Amino acid sequence: MKAVLHIIEHDLRNFFRYKWWLAGLISMNLADLLIMAVVYNHMVSAEIAEQIRSYLDFFAPGVTVLGLFVSAFMIGREINMEVRRQIHHYLLSLPITRLELALGRLLAGGFRGMMYTSPLLLTTFVFVGFPSFPQLIVILAALFLLATGIAGVSIITAVSTTSFEKFVTARGLVYYVLFFCSSVFYPLSLIQTLGQEGVMPQAIVVLAELNPLSSGADLIRSFLLGTPAFALDMMRNLIAFSLIFTTTATFAYMKIIERR
Amino acid sequence: MASLPPAMLHPHKLSVIHAHSAHDMFNYCMHSITLFIIGLANPLNLLIALSALFLFAFGVSGMSITVAVTLKSGDRFDILMGVLNALIARLSTTMYPQAFVQQANPTYATISRFNPVTFASDMFRWGTGIERYLTMSPMPLAAILGLVIFFLAFTLVGVTVYEKRLEGGGWQ
Repeated sequence: MKAVLHIIEHDLRNFFRYKWWLAGLISMNLADLLIMAVVYNHMVSAEIAEQIRSYLDFFAPGVTVLGLFVSAFMIGREINMEVRRQIHHYLLSLPITRLELALGRLLAGGFRGMMYTSPLLLTTFVFVGFPSFPQLIVILAALFLLATGIAGVSIITAVSTTSFEKFVTARGLVYYVLFFCSSVFYPLSLIQTLGQEGVMPQAIVVLAELNPLSSGADLIRSFLLGTPAFALDMMRNLIAFSLIFTTTATFAYMKIIERR
Repeated sequence: MASLPPAMLHPHKLSVIHAHSAHDMFNYCMHSITLFIIGLANPLNLLIALSALFLFAFGVSGMSITVAVTLKSGDRFDILMGVLNALIARLSTTMYPQAFVQQANPTYATISRFNPVTFASDMFRWGTGIERYLTMSPMPLAAILGLVIFFLAFTLVGVTVYEKRLEGGGWQ
C-alpha cells in the first residue's frame, strides 16, 4: 500500500509540472462555458430550453466532465513517453510489485482528474446551484469512478501504441467519439428522439446512452437541475466502465511494459 | 555559424509560411468544390472568397510562427495556441450568427466584429452564397479589407520575428 502511495505522489508531483498546460486547459474550458454556452443560451429553442432550464446551466456539468476526461487522460501521454524513452525500465527496477506500480498509476490518473476538475465543479455549483451533502458525496464518487476508468482507457491506449503519433491519433479518436456521442453538449432525450425519427443511426444513440461521459454529466444534472431524473443506470454504467477499464489497464500495463 | 545573406533567406521564410497555409487551403478548396458541385455558389464570388481566404491562411501562419519562435517551450506553444484558438474561434461568428452574440454580450459582439475569423467566415459565406448571416457591410469589401490588414500585419511580424530569432540579424 505504501508503494502505491509513493507512485501516486510521484504522478501528482509530475502533474503540477504542467502548470502551463493546466492553465491553458482551464482557460479553454472556461471559454467554452463563458462564451460558447452564453451565446448558445440565446439560440436554443423554447421547447428545448424548457427541458434544460438554460444552455449555460445544462452545459456547466458537461464541461466539468470534459475537463475531468482530458486531465485523467493525460496519464497516458506520460506512460507512452516513458515507454518510448525506455524510462519504464527504471520504474520496473524499483522495489515494488508490478501490481502496485500499475494500481498506483491508475489511481494517480483518477486523482489528477479529480484535482483538475474541482475548480470546474465548484464553478458549476456557483452557476447552477449547490447539491446537498449526500448528493455531493455521490457526485464525487461518480466522478472518481469516471476518472479512474478514463485513466484506464488512456493507459491501455498508451501501452498499445508504439509511437507518439499513433498514440495521439488513437487519443483523438477516443476524444471525439466520446465527446460528441454523449449528452455533454446536447440532451440525451434529443439524441434519442433523433434516433427514433431515423435522423441519427441507432448505433450512435446506443453509444450515447452507454457513454460514461453521458452518465457522469447527467448524474450531476439530475442533482443540480432535476432533469434528467436520477436513475441507477447512471451509476451502473459508471461502475461497469470503471471496473472494465481499470482491470484491463492494470493487466495490460503489467504485461506490456515487461515485454518492451 | 555564419548566417546566410538576407536576400537568400526571405523566399525561404515565405515558403515556411506558405507550407503552413497549404493544408488550410486544401480544406477550403475541398469545401468550395463540394459547394460548387451542389450548386450553391457563384463561381466568381467563390474565386474572390478563396483568394481572400488565402490571405487569412497566410495571416494565421504568420501569427503561429510569431508565437512559435517567441516561445522556447513546445508545451507553452501548444497551450498558447490552444487558448488563442479557443478564444478566437468562440469570439467569432463561425459557430453562431452575430445577432446572437450581440444578444448574449455586447462586449463579445464588439470583439467578434473585429475578429479575423469573422472576416474569413463572412467571406466564405458570401463566396458560397450563404448570405443570410453576414456580419459585415458592405460585402465583400469590408471583409477583404479586414483580411488584408490581418495578412499584412502578421506576415510582416512573422517574417521579422522569425528572421531575428533564427538568424540573430536585422531585416534589411
